[in-house]
Amino acid sequence: MTTRVLLCQRDELTPGSLKKVPNAEVGDICVYNLEGQYYATADLCTHATASLAEGDLEDGLITCPVHWGQFDVRTGEAVTFPCEKHLRTYQIIVTDKEVFADVAKEAEEALAADLA
Amino acid sequence: MDNNLIKLKPIEASPALPNLDKLCDMEAGRMSGKIFWDGDIYEQELEKIFARCWLFVAHESQIPKAGDYIATTMGEDEVLVVRQKDASIKVLINACPHRGNKVCFAEAGNARGFICNYHGWAFGTDGALRGMHESGVYEDSAFDKSQHGLREARVDSYKGLVFATFAADAPSLAEYLGPMAWYLDVILDNDEGGTEFAGGCIRSTIECNWKIAAENFVGDILHAGWTHDSAARAMLGGAVAQVSDFPESWSVNWNGHGYEFARDLVGNAAVLGESAINKYLHLQAPKAAERLGEFRSRMLGAVSSFTLFPNFSFLPGQNTMRVWQPRGPNKIELYTWVIVNKNAPQDVKDKWRRGAMMTFSPTGVFEMDDGENWEYCTKTSRGKVTRYQDLYVGLGMNTRLADTDLPGNVFKGQLNEANSRAFYQYWKDLLKAPSWADVPDRNGQLR
Ligand code: FES
Ligand code: FES
Ligand SMILES: [Fe+2]
Repeated sequence: MTTRVLLCQRDELTPGSLKKVPNAEVGDICVYNLEGQYYATADLCTHATASLAEGDLEDGLITCPVHWGQFDVRTGEAVTFPCEKHLRTYQIIVTDKEVFADVAKEAEEALAADLA
Repeated sequence: MDNNLIKLKPIEASPALPNLDKLCDMEAGRMSGKIFWDGDIYEQELEKIFARCWLFVAHESQIPKAGDYIATTMGEDEVLVVRQKDASIKVLINACPHRGNKVCFAEAGNARGFICNYHGWAFGTDGALRGMHESGVYEDSAFDKSQHGLREARVDSYKGLVFATFAADAPSLAEYLGPMAWYLDVILDNDEGGTEFAGGCIRSTIECNWKIAAENFVGDILHAGWTHDSAARAMLGGAVAQVSDFPESWSVNWNGHGYEFARDLVGNAAVLGESAINKYLHLQAPKAAERLGEFRSRMLGAVSSFTLFPNFSFLPGQNTMRVWQPRGPNKIELYTWVIVNKNAPQDVKDKWRRGAMMTFSPTGVFEMDDGENWEYCTKTSRGKVTRYQDLYVGLGMNTRLADTDLPGNVFKGQLNEANSRAFYQYWKDLLKAPSWADVPDRNGQLR
């Protein structure tokens, strides 16, 4: 079974934008374009129930639309109250045309930050 | 705009009170103090005036950035005026659609949204319900978040001033203001940079009926030479100008709004006793003349005042803008701001801010003079007999000027109760009308 999940076309998201990718197996995924670099995290806020894709993306931080907790989308780190539990990240695989997530792996930044 | 769009349930019009013509007869120029004291009349006012008319809620300069908000009231309804991400402005009822708790307790600030303290409903700055504490359990009852956001009022603005109304059937703001906009431009458009509010909102309470205060600004300069004589002597070292001597002096009104004015450029401003302000007005007048013409350029800081119906007033010269917020039949909360030209030098802006504090604020000498009079104009009506006696509002009856180019209903002189009559007539017309469509157009007919 492949753990590779198609997130979007490479030119689909402009820098600074984000989108929710429904996924029944691992839960919905949120994909972000940070100045040309793609990142992916779980879409569900770890605080209560909210889709992060409806939040504001600024300076690499996603602000939850419900209680305005914040995560660093590169590492998944919960940086602003009331979010205390870190966010699950996914490793990105970029091909010629498409952006995938490997849902079996954390993002490298998350591993480096030792949050995973 | 329909009520669906703003998700406001219309309130059903209650029947008009039966005896309004007895209490208020502007043909004859008389009314009774009962209209300043009666609880039933007040309830009708909340419904038929404050829930219907365009009310001033903010100056755009108070909320420049997305997420900036101020809290204010429309009548007794608490609202938030919020700058949106697309730079538009929304006016949201500051009450949670779950159990009605107040959602935002600050008077002003910047927010990503508003979260209710009671059960944690969370709203975006656009008022949309974005989440709830224990949101999972709502799904079982087929809860539709899109139907439970903060309720919205209709919003429009005129040259920096933001107005809102709860009435889906209200005329447009432009129609509502009518030719009075031409006079508002004296303040709002005498400089290319436009205006801003200097400093915050000064709040105070006065135990008077809101109409007495609004009427004082709509067209009662008569009181100034008498009521404010001692204050003027203290501030100026001399008496207030003799208004009856002014060669050019008018009262104009439209739809219950009124402006009384002279063309002496600095008459009002002079009571601040700040030569820098007088100088600024003299230097500004020629620039204003280029934008507005010579006539209006002489009105900048002149002896003048106005009220936009029902409760938004302004004093040119002192540059104080205020809302007489109704708080029951015999109490108002007064919200006061200072308006200045954005391009005015900072020290002139500061002098205006301080000048307003010295004159028209809870620490101001003029405000004290007025407040005492207004409180007793209200309180004498607690007497059951006194309440029904006639009050005279007939000064200047039949002094309408036909041969004038000035916009609106124009009357001779400022020492004239024509604007007050127009104000109370409009007040009564609204209280009698089941809907906006039933409000008669009396422009051109008032005496
Ligand atoms: S649900 Fe995201 S911060 Fe509360
Ligand atoms: S009253 Fe606001 S969430 Fe219940
Ligand atoms: Fe006064």
